[in-house]
Amino acid sequence: MSAATMTMRTWILAAVGAIALLQPSWAEPAAEVRVTYSNGQFQPGVVNAPVDKPVVIHVRNLDAKALEFESTSLRVEKVVAAQSEGIVNVRALKPGRYEFYDDFNDKARGALIVE
Amino acid sequence: MRPTRYPATRSTPHAALAICALTALLGGTAAARAEDPSSWREIETKYIFGFTTGSGIGLEGEKEVTVDTVGRFGKRDGHYAATETKYEFEFTPSQFVQIEFGALGSTHNIGGMTDLDGRNQAAFGGGFAEFRYLAVERTSNNPLSVTLAVEPTVRFIDETSGARVHNYEFETTVNADLELLKNRLYAGVNLLYEPEVTKTATEGTQREATFGGSAALAVRLAPNLLIGGEVWYLRHYDSPTLSAFTGDTLMAGPTLYVKFTSKMFMTAAWNAQIWGREVGNPLPLNLAEFQRHRARLKFAYEF
Repeated sequence: MSAATMTMRTWILAAVGAIALLQPSWAEPAAEVRVTYSNGQFQPGVVNAPVDKPVVIHVRNLDAKALEFESTSLRVEKVVAAQSEGIVNVRALKPGRYEFYDDFNDKARGALIVE
Repeated sequence: MRPTRYPATRSTPHAALAICALTALLGGTAAARAEDPSSWREIETKYIFGFTTGSGIGLEGEKEVTVDTVGRFGKRDGHYAATETKYEFEFTPSQFVQIEFGALGSTHNIGGMTDLDGRNQAAFGGGFAEFRYLAVERTSNNPLSVTLAVEPTVRFIDETSGARVHNYEFETTVNADLELLKNRLYAGVNLLYEPEVTKTATEGTQREATFGGSAALAVRLAPNLLIGGEVWYLRHYDSPTLSAFTGDTLMAGPTLYVKFTSKMFMTAAWNAQIWGREVGNPLPLNLAEFQRHRARLKFAYEF
């Protein structure tokens, strides 16, 4: 095998590795979680998801103004326009409590329990 | 680039240790009076420790523009002040990776020094990029978080002397932090390995490396305010393989983090050299490779 072929193969492997790092949730089926936002509150305030599975959070905003679904521990943020639905994709999670909130409304809090 | 030695004119400063102690004391008493932090939002830890970098990588899809200035002040003699400012854009493309890049601006105000030419200049300094990978993530059951980072940098102006050079640096760090008390008290640890090559018109090619680490504490006094202190120990080598030790130093000082709004914050830190040595020089402090004081001021806006 020539040195040029080796170099090309090394670069391809490095690129595949980098793409893999950017896509940690693989092709595993995701658990779906639904949250509604109305009158400045998340309903339900606590939702559940299984361990080690990617999670898709459907956030339905029934209020007349936009919200920003955000979570430091989930490491996601998503602006959901008034009276519409946003989808938030989350990696497979370890057991624990993951808090989320509306970044535009300090009183709107919720939590995802993974167990 | 490592300058040559200077005669002594002053002894070791101890102000930084006193400020660290005062900071910790004020933090403790104020914290005891403050409200219950369990109702506070979780905080991003990347910038709460001053020069020590926390493990945070931001939120997926988040972008940030930043102006981050580090100033270095005081050598053995004369007048020495140098700054380097990062004009930075950072973004988080996934829940495990953060990427940053930007340009460098530098200023040098040097006069009356034995081995550095006097100069008063401001210049475009070069560029950098940083790649951060979250290796261990914090959960409600695991207070430890660890991020691995590499930061290649190209400089056209020497950090120390301000002279025109071609400098290539590859900073590698481990950024770890621990949430000691939920939403209240955080500890940060950095490990650093920073090899670099500098090419100059007059002195040829120089290879060197800095190796060391830091420990920091930050207490959250209010939802948008943290104060703390940090200690850095750094060793300098005239070889990237860490085989030619030339000196080391211990720096310490207070840190401050203020979040103005949910999308805008600042961080500030000051370190003073409290101990140091240069190989072959009996004088106190290491002022050949390091400086008496350094300060950091960073403003960031997220969107």
